[in-house]
Amino acid sequence: MISAILIYVGWALLVVGAIADLIAAIGLNRFPNFFVRLHAATIGTIGGAFYPLLGVALIAFGAEFLGPYRFFMGGAALVTAFLVLLLAPAGSHALARAAHRSKVVKPEPVVVDHLEEDGGGE
Amino acid sequence: MSLEPSESTVIMMLIAILPIFITAYVLYLIRAVKGPTIADTVLAIDAFFFDVTVFVAVLGLIFKQPIMMVVAIVFALWAYALDVYVAKYLERGEMGD
Repeated sequence: MISAILIYVGWALLVVGAIADLIAAIGLNRFPNFFVRLHAATIGTIGGAFYPLLGVALIAFGAEFLGPYRFFMGGAALVTAFLVLLLAPAGSHALARAAHRSKVVKPEPVVVDHLEEDGGGE
Repeated sequence: MSLEPSESTVIMMLIAILPIFITAYVLYLIRAVKGPTIADTVLAIDAFFFDVTVFVAVLGLIFKQPIMMVVAIVFALWAYALDVYVAKYLERGEMGD
């Protein structure tokens, strides 16, 4: 009973993650410039990688046909999900800050740019 | 009556998800090739590799190979390393000591 619940909840998380992934990929192609595309990329990493990895972990805990190593698989998937949760926003932030400070990407259309006025956060 | 899905049912449920992921990968790669700036390419590659992580984990479930989960951890760390190195290079013009 409990393993059936784990498998179905994990599969639901995988489906949600796959749909979020598709939406993020469409958004990455449709949005006009880099700073707007960061928004779509965040959907693709948290919604499209963190949720499905949680789902994989739940399925691995629930599926008894995987044998005795299924707890290793589930634990490794949980660790990967935690790493993605920590590292994906940090990486996106570092990239956005570098792109703004090195003026590789022009922020447009822009009304006011306080980061520029403050000297780029120095 | 047992609610628990059989092994072949679970495998079929997992395989049914894979086409959605593959469509998303093709779209990510289109953005990575198109650019137009280096930051866009790196952002697309970054999102692409975080999702390859998921793909490898699902394949590990389908093929019943526990070792593929270890590969997934390495993919996640590699995508972060790419982000940080490119950010460092854009800001300072060198890769750091």
